[in-house]
Amino acid sequence: MGSLFRSESMCLAQLFLQSGTAYECLSALGEKGLVQFRDLNQNVSSFQRKFVGEVKRCEELERILVYLVQEITRVDIPLPEGEASPPAPPLKQVLEMQEQLQKLEVELREVTKNKEKLRKNLLELIEYTHMLRVTKTFVRRNVEFEPTYEEFPALENDSLLDYSCMQRLGAKLGFVSGLIQQGKVEAFEKMLWRACKGYTIVTYAELDESLEDPETGEVIKWYVFLISFWGEQIGHKVKKICDCYHCHIYPYPNTAEERREIQEGLNTRIQDLYTVLHKTEDYLRQVLCKAAESVCSRVLQVKKMKAIYHMLNMCSFDVTNKCLIAEVWCPEADLPGLRRALEEGSSGATIPSFMNTIPTKEAPPTLIRTNRFTEGFQNIVDAYGVGSYREVNPALFTIITFPFLFAVMFGDFGHGFVMFLFALLLVLNENHPRLKQSQEILRMFFNGRYILLLMGLFSVYTGLIYNDCFSKSVNLFGSGWNISAMYSSSHSPEKQGKMVLWNDSIVRHSKTLQLDPSIPGVFRGPYPFGIDPIWNLATNRLTFLNSFKMKMSVILGIIHMTFGVILGIFNHLHFRKKFNIYLVSVPEILFMLCIFGYLIFMIIYKWLAYSAETSREAPSILIEFINMFLFPASETHGLYPGQAHVQRLLLALTVLAVPVLFLGKPLFLLWLHNGRSCFGVSRGGYTLVRKDSEEEVSLLGSQDIEEGNNRMEDGCREVTCEEFNFGEILMTQAIHSIEYCLGCISNTASYLRLWALSLAHAQLSDVLWAMLMRVGLRVDTTYGVLLLLPVMAFFVVLTIFILLIMEGLSAFLHAIRLHWVEFQNKFYVGAGTKFVPFSFSLLSSKFSNDDIA
Amino acid sequence: MLETAELYFNVDHGYLEGLVRGCKANLLTQQDYINLVQCETLEDLKIHLQTTDYGNFLANETSPLTVSKIDTEMRKKLCREFDYFRNHSLEPLSTFFTYMTCSYMIDNVVLLMNGALQKKSVKEVLAKCHPLGRFTEMEAVNIAETTSDLFNAVLVETPLAPFFQDCMSENTLDELNIELLRNKLYKSYLEAFYKFCKDHGDVTAEIMCPILEFEADRRALIITLNSFGTELSKEDRETLFPTCGKLYPEGLRLLAQAEDFDQMKRVADNYGIYKPLFEAVGSSRGKTLEDVFYEHEVQMNVLAFNRQFHYGVFYAYVKLKEQEMRNIVWIAECISQRHRTKINSYIPIL
Repeated sequence: MGSLFRSESMCLAQLFLQSGTAYECLSALGEKGLVQFRDLNQNVSSFQRKFVGEVKRCEELERILVYLVQEITRVDIPLPEGEASPPAPPLKQVLEMQEQLQKLEVELREVTKNKEKLRKNLLELIEYTHMLRVTKTFVRRNVEFEPTYEEFPALENDSLLDYSCMQRLGAKLGFVSGLIQQGKVEAFEKMLWRACKGYTIVTYAELDESLEDPETGEVIKWYVFLISFWGEQIGHKVKKICDCYHCHIYPYPNTAEERREIQEGLNTRIQDLYTVLHKTEDYLRQVLCKAAESVCSRVLQVKKMKAIYHMLNMCSFDVTNKCLIAEVWCPEADLPGLRRALEEGSSGATIPSFMNTIPTKEAPPTLIRTNRFTEGFQNIVDAYGVGSYREVNPALFTIITFPFLFAVMFGDFGHGFVMFLFALLLVLNENHPRLKQSQEILRMFFNGRYILLLMGLFSVYTGLIYNDCFSKSVNLFGSGWNISAMYSSSHSPEKQGKMVLWNDSIVRHSKTLQLDPSIPGVFRGPYPFGIDPIWNLATNRLTFLNSFKMKMSVILGIIHMTFGVILGIFNHLHFRKKFNIYLVSVPEILFMLCIFGYLIFMIIYKWLAYSAETSREAPSILIEFINMFLFPASETHGLYPGQAHVQRLLLALTVLAVPVLFLGKPLFLLWLHNGRSCFGVSRGGYTLVRKDSEEEVSLLGSQDIEEGNNRMEDGCREVTCEEFNFGEILMTQAIHSIEYCLGCISNTASYLRLWALSLAHAQLSDVLWAMLMRVGLRVDTTYGVLLLLPVMAFFVVLTIFILLIMEGLSAFLHAIRLHWVEFQNKFYVGAGTKFVPFSFSLLSSKFSNDDIA
Repeated sequence: MLETAELYFNVDHGYLEGLVRGCKANLLTQQDYINLVQCETLEDLKIHLQTTDYGNFLANETSPLTVSKIDTEMRKKLCREFDYFRNHSLEPLSTFFTYMTCSYMIDNVVLLMNGALQKKSVKEVLAKCHPLGRFTEMEAVNIAETTSDLFNAVLVETPLAPFFQDCMSENTLDELNIELLRNKLYKSYLEAFYKFCKDHGDVTAEIMCPILEFEADRRALIITLNSFGTELSKEDRETLFPTCGKLYPEGLRLLAQAEDFDQMKRVADNYGIYKPLFEAVGSSRGKTLEDVFYEHEVQMNVLAFNRQFHYGVFYAYVKLKEQEMRNIVWIAECISQRHRTKINSYIPIL
């Protein structure tokens, strides 16, 4: 687990990629995902970079592929799961691929265009037949019911009137007929009325089947209309209005025979079109099927290619333009892998690509390798801040402390067990594909499945300690308390003198009875594991548990925080700042332990030193602790002899630790700064001379030239050494110290949330039991069974939603807070940047999310 | 309405206001313009625009890229945003949006009528219409022969109908009449919009009224400028001036009498706002009066974002976006015509 304790050591490496094989090298690197590239062309805008053309070509290919995928999914051809991850296409194949794809696109576009044309044609013909069918009834109706035909009195009452008769009479009656979308009918009619001043007759009927709109492809309702009008002028207007409303206009047959002929002709044409359309569709399907075979891997390949060119864009060219220089961060452990990848990539070339490491003062990115178990815990820590390079990583300890602190708040082994089972289910099915693509909330649970697992396990443990199972206690080993010993009959009369014992009348008449542990035989020793189940029956149960849980939270909190300070020592050792240990960490530990460590000591001492008999004269810890600071005039008899001296000594240590904490580090740094400058007088003088004398300057210049480019690049890269600023150091240290000293008190108080939440959880589950299950159990047996079922179901639902999910969430948040604020601020800086390797595996996952699914 | 927009504004319009402010933050910055100007080809321009809020809006265009393709796509994008705003708006903001579209509708109607006059096909002209001003009856505009025809048959049910009161006439629609119609429509539109904002009161009035006043005065000035040397009579000219501006009434009367640019300038010099604008014309970089007006408009629109709880932000955003589109089109034109000397005379949005 060494890798989890600190982030991997990184080094900056320069890769010299021969321009011929750079692409292959990067392809090999991308497959392995070993290195993070640094952008060497930050001030070059995106379209002026070297490989813009290639990136553009990739984008063109992507566009074609998106089109292909779109077409393939439209005809419901399943996209085959391509081979796991095809390598980036070799450069030679790229052109071929591009040609193929372009040809395919052209072909596809043509076929679809033809198909669309045919469909449109077909649709028009279908519309036409519909129109003919519907309008057949119109004319007759017009004639029968509309009074506008008064101009032709002879025809008025002729019920057999047909349009052909009208024609014979020579009236300039014109017809426009067609189809219009349902939504536009009303506006259309109004417009016709207004524009033609009522000289038109519009008849329309709704078409009983919905047809596709040829422009948008939507299936909508249509109306068939027939407009009759007189005169050329109005006819033009009507046609224009029809155009404006995107009506589909079809010629209106003049005679019945004509109508029949047209209809017949239409039917045959529709038949023909259907066959042609089928053939086209079959062909299209064939083409698409063929394309579908390779499209998945093509998409991946193009993505990879694009990624490679993006990385190449980050490289700079060397003077001779023959090789590309890339700067990468690489974990030291992976350097052999990197070399191998480079060799692989440049195997065909005459000059191999190579690398060398270069020293740098810049902070490298942080890489902490995780597996699926540690990943969740690392995420909790990273959410606070990615660790600085090589700093102690709290995630390692979080694996245990986080579920533990959670469980202290969530202690109930029934609930814990349910949580454990749920997590176990997730863990056992973790390879199930549906879980991996699940929705947001379930995904959250899935990603934290190992955390949940441990949280459940630890809750079972603390639940056993608290002896709580759905708020009920379990009597596993038999209680340590014996009630029969309280009866007067069980004791010999001479012993009974001082003791308050029970007899029948007391038992019968008093509502509550108190067991007295000081009577021999009543308390037979502690319960072997956890809290004695008899407390569940006691009225003073809360008082007892509160005292226990409160003390426990303080003890756990102080241990947790002290551990944090100790981890700080590891950091100081690693970063070679030993003085920090003596001037910061040690006073911090002293401050903490002398006050709060002593508090723990008192708590434990009191537990051990006083028994049931002597409990009445035991002093209060609170008063003792306050007295430690107040030096009361009247001596109380404390916990142990010599207590006052010990306390004074501890207090003195605490008081001494504070100024050391405040001033130690700044003064030491000042001394170091001054001392060093005294020590190196000659060197200081040398720099002075160098500044003044021109010769030196020129010398310096020539030196620079000799060292060449490399040095200059380094120069820009080097972080400028900070000026020594005593005031600033003093201020930061003072702030840090004040924060620490106050934090010791407030953070300790903060750990009391462990007590508060566990109390709340226990009480809530108790209430749930009392309000539901007890009611259900009280009803007499005949009906009780019927009632118990819904009560049980309700109880389960409430338990899951309130006690498990809601309470679990709140305990989770508080546990996170205890880690982030109380624990990590003792040692964790968290100012690093994450190591993001150039890796194809990150690409492909992204693809499957957006494009296909 | 009470003068306490702070209390209830966010209930109805808070979401949209937040959205529009977000959109405004995505306008191109000075740095973006500097980069755009450096582009060698339209492809470069496309690549650079991809890094901005425009994103992949040109991704599905087949090459070769042309300026008009860029323009249409940008318009489509603006239209999508505007439709989103409009579809999510409540009264009276939705009326405000309707007013905003009216100006585009007027332009479209006039465009279509001109097209019909020149016997162009409707489809061809439609493509040039601004998508924000689209409405269904639009395509039937060419059946009308006179203004009253136009009103009675086509536009009576559109939001444009109320603006027709002043310009009903039986004159046939020739080029001059159409231009007159446009200006009269615009005049009544601006006055109605101004009244709407004024009646709405509150911050909206405080922000929108100056913007609309400026718009009105700008139109008056431009009309005057364009009417020099045409057959438009001075009385007719005066009837075209929108009366909701700062120039009303005295300035407009003087403008109606103006006979050349110098006289116009003398009128403008009486007004504190317009004096510096007229002084800027021609003095530096050969700016035209229009450029100066655009710059001033941009400034007013940007300032509109300094106040909260008012509708002016929506107006300002659309105007700023339009200006941005004009800038991009200008730069694109300069690039495609290899006419780089003038590429820098876009109007920066600060």
